[in-house]
Amino acid sequence: MLLHGVFRGFAGGVREVTLDASNLREAIDGLASAHPSLAERLRDERGKLRPHMALFVNEDDARLLGWEDAPLKEGDIVHVIPALSGG
Amino acid sequence: MAKKITVLVGTKKGMYILRGDMNRQKFEIDGPRWAPAPIHHATYDPRDGSMYAAVNQTWGGSRIEHSRDMGKTWTTSSNPKFPEGSDRTFSQTWHIEPGHQTTPNVIWAGTEPAALFKSEDRGESWSIVQSLDDQPTRAKWVPGFGGMGLHSIAIDAKDPKRMSVGISVGGVYTTTDGGMTWTQDNKKTGGDSERPDVFYCIHKLLAHPEESGLRFMRVHEEVYWRDPSETTWRHSTAGLPSNFGFAAAMHPRDRRTAYVIPLDSMTRAAMPFGIGVYRTQDKGKSWVKLEKGLPQGAPLETLREGMHNDRLDPMGLYFGTANGDVWASRDEGESWARIAQYLPYVTSVHAATIE
Repeated sequence: MLLHGVFRGFAGGVREVTLDASNLREAIDGLASAHPSLAERLRDERGKLRPHMALFVNEDDARLLGWEDAPLKEGDIVHVIPALSGG
Repeated sequence: MAKKITVLVGTKKGMYILRGDMNRQKFEIDGPRWAPAPIHHATYDPRDGSMYAAVNQTWGGSRIEHSRDMGKTWTTSSNPKFPEGSDRTFSQTWHIEPGHQTTPNVIWAGTEPAALFKSEDRGESWSIVQSLDDQPTRAKWVPGFGGMGLHSIAIDAKDPKRMSVGISVGGVYTTTDGGMTWTQDNKKTGGDSERPDVFYCIHKLLAHPEESGLRFMRVHEEVYWRDPSETTWRHSTAGLPSNFGFAAAMHPRDRRTAYVIPLDSMTRAAMPFGIGVYRTQDKGKSWVKLEKGLPQGAPLETLREGMHNDRLDPMGLYFGTANGDVWASRDEGESWARIAQYLPYVTSVHAATIE
């Protein structure tokens, strides 16, 4: 998983994390377990992913792949990105 | 021991720390921190020297940060959380208030959606005050223009179990048993309005830091005074150029003196009367404009947390504006000088008096 922007800061400067996951939900949960300071930055107290965040699997927007159900295979890169907030 | 003033300035794009010299004349500006996150409020706890900031960031959600080294480094707190079964989730923090002197580890936070949270570990973690959340009248709370938040936490000077909270728009609730039970506290004398709702739109509620039971309250329309012997809010707006405004302060020693910055209710700026800090020295019976050194007639704007005082003698008073200025008075409001400019839109000002 490749962290971008503020999410890198929330993880104490960590840029990338390698973990086993068969879908995006497992990957997010694995990321939060590996770096607990990220947990509340990724999900609210109901477990819902925060809205102003983009997730990509390689070059593809995860919203088009089933969001948290998006399947992952070995070698995929999941990008955790602060959503675009410019003009 | 000599005291210095450090002013915590929240803006719409990060927080700035203004570190003053011994004379409160020059301030070194440190920041911004957390930009572009908006900072609703930042505060200093004189009991142990901690600082707290409400970082209401879009990315990663809102959070509370705390510092134990005078703002050099900061740590993220565990978020305030609405309990399982609640129909709400934490959106942002509006105000952080250190607890009573006798409860050194207690910090309070007011949030949006409107709720009161308590920390018993110096802001490391937070729990909702369920007794306030369970008020049947909560169903009547509605958002103001800025959202529906609990923004005022007025802790009694002497009695640690006695405190009041102010909610926009939900009125005042008071507890006398440390938060186990609450009563609506919205009886007033004077201040008649054609609108039935404005008195419940609390803009700022303050407790005097030395006099038990003494309160001052800035409401959507009008301001109100309450002496220790009183149980109603007494209308105290005579002499102000408008009945609207947000910022308010109480003199930390003089039991008869308070300050407000009036705004026009439609434009939300000090027009056409111009920016000025208005002072009462007779418990709100009359108000006088203090504007020496301020830009005469300027239609500036100051928000709810935009004014605060230090604890020195003579008292210093500070306010921030929408155009990014911070103004300071070293003589209890008689004269003013700008101590910072070109900051982002200032949302909060807190003057820490540091030993």
